[in-house]
Amino acid sequence: MANTTTNLRVIFGDGTLGVAGPACHYIFSYERGGLESLVQHGKEWLYRTPMPTFWRATTDNDRGNGFSQDSAMWLGADLFSHCVAVAINVDDQDLGWPIAPETNRFSNHEWAEKVQIAFTYQTTTVPKTNVTVTYQVFNDGHLGVTVHYDGQPGLPELPALGLRFIMPTPAVGFDYTGLSGETYPDRMAGAVAGTYHVVGLPVTPYLRPQENGMHMATEAVTVTRHTTLNNTDVDATDFSLSVVQTTAPFAFSCLPYTAEQLEAADHIEELPAVRRTVLGVYGAVRGVGGIDSWGADVEPAYHISAEVDHEFSFEIRG
Amino acid sequence: MEPSINWLDDPQVFRVGTLPAHSDHRAYRSGEEIERGVSSYIQSLDGDWQFQYAKNPAERPVGFFEPDYDRDHFFTIQVPGHIELENFSQIHYINTLYPWEGKVYRRPAYVLSDADTGAGMFSAADNNCVGAYAKRFDLEEPLRNNRVTVQFDGVEQAMYLWLNGHFVGYAEDSFSQSEFDLTPYIQDTDNVIAVEVFKQSTAAFLEDQDMFRFSGIFRSVRLTAQPEIHVNDLAIHSTVTADLTTGHLAVTLQLNDHPAAGTVSLTVTDDQGEMVAEASEKATEQVHFGDFEVANVRLWCHSDPYRYHLQLTVRDADGAVLEVVPYDFGFRRFELVDKVMMLNGQRLILNGVNRHEWNPDRGRAITQADMVADLQVFKENNINAVRTCHYPDQIPWYTMCDEAGIYMMAETNLETHGSWQKMGAVEPSYNVPGSVSQWRDAVLDRAKNNYEVFKNHPSILFWSLGNESYAGEVLAEMNAYYKRVDSTRLTHYEGVYRNRAYADRISDVESRMYETPENIKAYLDDHPEKPFLNCEYMHDMGNSLGGMASYVNLINQYPMYQGGFIWDYIDQALYVTDEVTGNRVLRYGGDFDDRHSDYDFSGDGLMFANRQPKPAMQEVRYYYGQYNN
Repeated sequence: MANTTTNLRVIFGDGTLGVAGPACHYIFSYERGGLESLVQHGKEWLYRTPMPTFWRATTDNDRGNGFSQDSAMWLGADLFSHCVAVAINVDDQDLGWPIAPETNRFSNHEWAEKVQIAFTYQTTTVPKTNVTVTYQVFNDGHLGVTVHYDGQPGLPELPALGLRFIMPTPAVGFDYTGLSGETYPDRMAGAVAGTYHVVGLPVTPYLRPQENGMHMATEAVTVTRHTTLNNTDVDATDFSLSVVQTTAPFAFSCLPYTAEQLEAADHIEELPAVRRTVLGVYGAVRGVGGIDSWGADVEPAYHISAEVDHEFSFEIRG
Repeated sequence: MEPSINWLDDPQVFRVGTLPAHSDHRAYRSGEEIERGVSSYIQSLDGDWQFQYAKNPAERPVGFFEPDYDRDHFFTIQVPGHIELENFSQIHYINTLYPWEGKVYRRPAYVLSDADTGAGMFSAADNNCVGAYAKRFDLEEPLRNNRVTVQFDGVEQAMYLWLNGHFVGYAEDSFSQSEFDLTPYIQDTDNVIAVEVFKQSTAAFLEDQDMFRFSGIFRSVRLTAQPEIHVNDLAIHSTVTADLTTGHLAVTLQLNDHPAAGTVSLTVTDDQGEMVAEASEKATEQVHFGDFEVANVRLWCHSDPYRYHLQLTVRDADGAVLEVVPYDFGFRRFELVDKVMMLNGQRLILNGVNRHEWNPDRGRAITQADMVADLQVFKENNINAVRTCHYPDQIPWYTMCDEAGIYMMAETNLETHGSWQKMGAVEPSYNVPGSVSQWRDAVLDRAKNNYEVFKNHPSILFWSLGNESYAGEVLAEMNAYYKRVDSTRLTHYEGVYRNRAYADRISDVESRMYETPENIKAYLDDHPEKPFLNCEYMHDMGNSLGGMASYVNLINQYPMYQGGFIWDYIDQALYVTDEVTGNRVLRYGGDFDDRHSDYDFSGDGLMFANRQPKPAMQEVRYYYGQYNN
C-alpha cells in the first residue's frame, strides 16, 4: 500500500533538497536559491534557476511615455533579486530549512506524498519587497508552482510579473491552448481562442527589438525540444514539458532571449545566436498602449500596480 | 527660354514650360490595344539612363545635356529609382525637422522679411546634390509624326529638362506628374533627353514629410504621342439624386488646341454591356456630353465597387479611329447630412490606414506588385479607406482603389512641419505657406495637380490640403479652390486644429491626430460643428496598437464620430547586407551615419517593411470588421 501512496523519494542533501518521483526528479538548491534541476523522463529542463521576472524590453511606447525611466528599478530587480529564505514542508509538516546536523536523522529511503518548498526572493528595489515562489511536488510527480508578490507602497508600476525558466537548448517549437498570435491585455480582442502550434522560437522582428511574443489567457503550453546538453544523450526523439493552468489562465512568452538581451539590441541582427529557450510564465502583463509613441500612457486598466499583492499559480507536467 | 539655377531659390518659380495637369486617362489606338493593355501611343523611357552625380550645384557637369557632350564616363542608373539607393548620395531619415538641421541655417524666403529673397540658398549650397541624367532614344515607329510629350510621374525635388540640347522646362512638386511638350525638338532617331535633378529647392520647405529624404527620378518616365485630335482632359461629372435612384452624367473634354476636323463619340455601358449613354460631337477644343440620366443607377461603395465603363472614340474626318479612351467611373453620393458624413445614404465609417509608398529594397519607387499586395492586405483585414500620406501616390493606385472599393483621402503634396513645430511645441514664427504671398502659387498649384489628375475617381471622398503645415491664408485659399472645383467631395485638413482662427474656412471635417478618446468625447459633447475623424491614430510603432476598443466604442456613442486612419500601414526601413553576418537586414534612420535623425521612428506600420504583417494586424481585422461598410 505504502508504495502506491508515497511515490516521492526525498533526498535531504547538504546543499539541496532532491525529490524523485514517477519519471521525474527535482533538485531544489539552497545555494542557487531555487529549482536547479527539473528532469522529466531523463531530460533536464533547466539551465539556470527560475527567477521572478519583472522587466520587459522597452517598447517604443514605453520609451516615448517614460515608463521605462519611471519603472527602471524593476530592471535591476529582474537581474539582481536574490533568495533570502527557504521553507520546506513534507506531507503537511513544516520542516523549516533543514540542514546537517539536523538532517542526519534522515536516510536514503525517505518517502512522501507531497513535498513543498518555498523560496523567498528579495527585490533590489527601493523600498524592497518580497516574492515567494512555492513549489509543490505532488505524488504523481507533477509540479505545482505559486508565485506570490508582496505589494509595497511607493514602488513604481510593474512592467510585468512572472517566473522565468531558462532551458538548456532551443526549443523546436511549442503548442499552446489560448489565443492566436501575439496578445497583450489591451490588444487581445481580435485574437481567436484555439490550440496553436508555433515552429521554433520566433522573435517578432520589431524594427528595434523590444518586448514581444506574449500570449494572454493561456490554458496550457507545451514546449518541445530535440537536444540536450548531456554529453551521453544520444536519444534523438523530441521531448516535451507542459505548463498548465490551475485556478486561472496565465500568460506566457517562449523566446530565445531574456528581456535584458532584447533590451540591449538596437537591431534584430544584434541579438545573440539562439542557444536557450526562455519561457516566461506571467501572472500579470502590462498593456502596450497605442494612442501615440511620445507620451500617451497605457490605459489605466492595463497597468500593474506594485503596491498591491499579486499571486498566480500553474503546474508543470512532463 | 534660358534656364536659371536661381529658380531653385525662388518659391515663385515652380513650373516652367510644363503642360497643364490633366486627368489620368490613357489613350489607345484601338479597342484591341485596350484589351491588351498596351498603347502604341506610349513609349516607356524607364530603364538604364546615363548618370553623373555631383554633391552640389557648383560641381555639377554644366552642359551635360548637349547631345555631343562626352558622357562616356557617366555611370548607369536605373529609372525609376532613388539616387541614394544607388549609393551616390547619403541615405537620411528625419521626421519633422528640416533635413539640413544642424548643418545649414535657413529661413524660407520672404517669410521674415520681404527683402529676404533666399538668393543662393539652394543654388549655391555646398551640400545640395545634383543628378545629371541622360538617355539616348529613337522614337518608336508608332509615335512618329505626332505631337509628342514626355511625362515624369515623380522627380524629387526639382528638375530641369532638355531635349537634344534645347531647354524644355522646369518642375517641382515631386509627387505629381510633370509633362512637357517635346514636339518642337524631337527627332525620329538619336534623341538625347537630359534631366538635371536637384535634391533641394524651395520645394524642400513644402516637402517635409516624415520619411527618408531621397532624390532622383523615382517614378516612371514615358513618351506619349498625340494624334491630330487628342483628348487632353476628361472630366466626368457623375451625381446621384437625393433619393439615390437616378444618376446624372455629364462629360467635358478638353481637346488639343485647334484640333483637326473629326468627331468624338462617347459610350457608357454597364458591366453587362448594356448601353447607358451614347453621343457624338464634332471635335472642338472643348466638347461637352450630357446631361444623361441613368435610371436605377447602381452605386459605387466599398462593398460593391460598381463601375460603369465610359469609352471615347476619336475619329478623323474620314471616320478613321485616331484614339480610344476607356475610363471606368462610378456614381456615388457623398454629403453631410445633419453634420454626419453620409455615403449613398449610409453613415460613413472610415476603417482606414495611412499609407506611405514603401518597398524595403526600392524605397518609394514601389512596384505594381507592391500595390496589388497592399490591396490584398486591405481586403483581408477589413481596411476600407486609405490616406495617401502625404502626397499623391502613383497614378495607377487610384484606379486600383476604385476597383477595390477603397475610400481615399487624396492628399496634396504638402508638409511644412519643420516650419511651425519644434521639439513638439507649436512655434510658427517662420511658417510656410502661412499667409505669405510669394509661396501662394506654388502651394495652390500642388492642389491643382492633385485635383486635375485624380478628379474622376469615385474612390476619392476627400481632398486633403496636405499634412501638418499649420494654417493661414494660403491653405484657406486651397480649401476654397477644392470647394470651387468639386461639390461632390469634402475637404480635409488637420492643421487648422493648430490655428483655430481658420476653423470656418478650412476643412469640412474636424480632423485630429493622436487625439485621446477622452478629448474626442469632449469635442463631440460640446456642440460640435463638424463630424470628427482621426486623420492619424493608433500609432503602431513597434509593439503597439493597444487600447483600440476605446476608439471603436465611440462609433456607437456618437453619430458624428466617423472613424479614422491608423498610423500607418507599413514600416519604412531599408534592406541592407549586414556587415557581420552577410544577411539581409532592415535598417533605419541613423544607420547610415545620417544625422540629425529620428532613428526608428519610421517603424510604425501595421506591416513590417518587408510586407509581413505585425501581430497587431489581427486586432485591426477584428475591430475594422465590426463596422465594415
